[in-house]
Amino acid sequence: MKFSRRDLLIGSAGATAGLLLTPVPWKLLGDVSIWTQNWPWIPQPARGPVETKQTFCTLCAGGCGIRVRMAAGYAVGISGVRNHPITKGALCPLGFAAQQLNWHPQRLREVRHGGRAGSWAEAQAAFEKACGEGPVAVIDGRSGRAASTVLEAFARKRSGSYHVVLSAESEALAPYAEWSGVPVTALGYDLENARTIVSFGAPLLDGWGTPGRFTRLWSERAAGASDPQLRLIQIESSLSRTAGRAWQWVPIREGSEGKLAAGLARVLLEEHLVSSHGPMPQLSLAEVAAQTGLTSEAIRDLARKMVENRPVVVIAADGNPAVAALNVLLGAVAAPGGIVQRREHLQAQARPQATFVSPRAVLLDSTVPWEFAPQTDAEVFRFAAWDGGGNKTGWLLPAPGFLEEFTDVPTAPTSAVDTYAVALSLVTPSPEVKSATQFLLEIDPSLPAVEKVIHLRCEELFRARQGMVYAEQPIAITTFASAEKFEEQLRKGAVWVDGPPRPGGVRCELKEWPAEKVVSHGTNWAAAWAPPVFPALATKLYQESNLREAPAGRQA
Amino acid sequence: MSARYGMVIDLDRCTGCGSCMMACAAENNVPPAPPKATTRTGLTPMLVHKVSNGAEGAAKREVFIPVTCMHCANETPCVSVCPQQAVEVDKATGIVMQMPQRCLGCRYCMVACPYHARYFNWWDPAWPAGMEKSLNPGVAVRMRGVVEKCNLCHARLHSAMEKATAAGKKEIDPADYIPACMEACPTGAILFGNLADKDDAVYSAAHSPDAFRLLARLGTEPKVYYKSEQAWVKALAERDSDHAKESKHV
Repeated sequence: MKFSRRDLLIGSAGATAGLLLTPVPWKLLGDVSIWTQNWPWIPQPARGPVETKQTFCTLCAGGCGIRVRMAAGYAVGISGVRNHPITKGALCPLGFAAQQLNWHPQRLREVRHGGRAGSWAEAQAAFEKACGEGPVAVIDGRSGRAASTVLEAFARKRSGSYHVVLSAESEALAPYAEWSGVPVTALGYDLENARTIVSFGAPLLDGWGTPGRFTRLWSERAAGASDPQLRLIQIESSLSRTAGRAWQWVPIREGSEGKLAAGLARVLLEEHLVSSHGPMPQLSLAEVAAQTGLTSEAIRDLARKMVENRPVVVIAADGNPAVAALNVLLGAVAAPGGIVQRREHLQAQARPQATFVSPRAVLLDSTVPWEFAPQTDAEVFRFAAWDGGGNKTGWLLPAPGFLEEFTDVPTAPTSAVDTYAVALSLVTPSPEVKSATQFLLEIDPSLPAVEKVIHLRCEELFRARQGMVYAEQPIAITTFASAEKFEEQLRKGAVWVDGPPRPGGVRCELKEWPAEKVVSHGTNWAAAWAPPVFPALATKLYQESNLREAPAGRQA
Repeated sequence: MSARYGMVIDLDRCTGCGSCMMACAAENNVPPAPPKATTRTGLTPMLVHKVSNGAEGAAKREVFIPVTCMHCANETPCVSVCPQQAVEVDKATGIVMQMPQRCLGCRYCMVACPYHARYFNWWDPAWPAGMEKSLNPGVAVRMRGVVEKCNLCHARLHSAMEKATAAGKKEIDPADYIPACMEACPTGAILFGNLADKDDAVYSAAHSPDAFRLLARLGTEPKVYYKSEQAWVKALAERDSDHAKESKHV
């Protein structure tokens, strides 16, 4: 039989049609899609025992309670702690991916000097030499920690000076500290008892203070209601996240916050809306109206609204004394729902010095924001877990990263009550990193160790027998049998919270209306974030969506 | 187990912080963006849009709208077009499931989805060296070339089911199954639960007079509801594409 070209074509067509009726091509198609899901270069999560630990975030001064999911010894998930009395389960957006930070490409893992690799021995020798030649200035980014006590003790022993870089929130409290003599670290806002909050540009709903404290409060008492229990009035030049959710947004010209404060003070005094007698600002209402872009009637209306629903407290974005003076006039200082003084049970806290005596060596703790650059000719020794770039001079010393350091978490700035907690070292730090306190202890072994200071603080709090310990359930501190048991509970992730602040304490009197300072914009959680880098997943916020603009100088 | 899981998102409470986006990505091992990725090519199973009312000055208002897979219950568009049966509606939970192992990457489902809630994985998932140790071991990493979307944190549902089974129960404890976005929301704007359960808070929220669904007129019965007292925000829900162009995306 002759096999023709026609037979070949018919046979091929038949075979193709027949093959399509079998499961083979469909099976192959499916298998190909499965094979292509399993390339060897696809990252695989760590495998191992899974456990959950409760501790505290130390990446900013907020000290949020966090639940860390660990697998094979690595942190693989972070969520908030619902029963934390202050943060109530909330975290800043970056906190949800903070476990990525320790593998950030800019993680510091070697000593650097002038941009070149160095060693710890060289750094130590250089620091001791500089300290021998003149005074040392030790700069802390977060006061009140056990590590702060060690840093201050070193500065004192070497006849040096100890300084603290204040956050924007603490700067806003500085005028009251100046007028009353109460340390700024002991002042806070009693927001929970306020019924009207007037914010002059403070990003209250965007990470101000401890993330979660105000957002939860606003959510429970203000969100979505036309006449809420808590009225938030936001005075700001642009429609920020806080302004957009406020009960009332008052758009004013940028930089005219102090002028408006003076105008409001004038109305409060002229219309006898406040009981206290304060100094009358020199600016007339017409001048204020012209400079702020509001009408005189709008300013009068705002002043009336401020006192309509008391207690009222005014919050500034920074240390503008003209805005702070409004609280004095409104009687919101040392009053429930206003500016309060915390009890401060811990006596042995490091107090910063104001004078900066020309030092020979400057030591910057890893809590100091990367953007802070001391203007000095002295040799700078900066501890940092991540290299924020641009540091070509001085020493760059690798510090422990996220969850790598055992430390205490004192009261957050702006808090109305004292709190105390202990953050655990859940992740083993690499051998090449050292904290500033470890570095100083190697130079001077007579300094107190951080663990020892934490233990002493726990004893001090236990002796005071005040406040509650928030673990799974709130427990009175008086129920603990010993200071050791109390400390043990803190090491398990509990937080100690003092009772409500005592009334009185802060006495501010104004003889004349204060001159205003130039107001800078309030910061949000992104700026308060101590590391100069962001977790890799921050690209979701800055690159893969239009939600936020990438902050300058920070890299995901 | 028989449930109809869904969400109610209160837009008057959303501050646009982005915590839901971050928590979602971390929970589901979504990789960070490669340098070339944009808002169009990125992977954001939960994406918060910032929308303004178009006014300027003191009259300007903004709203943040978290958009995720709507888990459509009727004629689910992505299910009906998928040639690989890589998408299916779980009858026991109402969750629209995406199976990357079956996905060929044809992207028909992306075209069919009226909410643009599906994303194509354009690049190999990559993290900086060592960072893979921070990945969630409960969720597999997906390969490039497949479509991804929200699956209501299905790994968490599995954990809750395992826990219930170990305790000899047939139903899960609702407290054991909370998606990452709801858990992360600092203002409680996201409410998740069983829409078929009249005692569930999400049921009453979905039936409140202020609740609405995006593009409800299409009849796909989305299981993600939104809530707002503001009339201009509610009006956004039914805007067609021409109107959407007029609304100013900031």
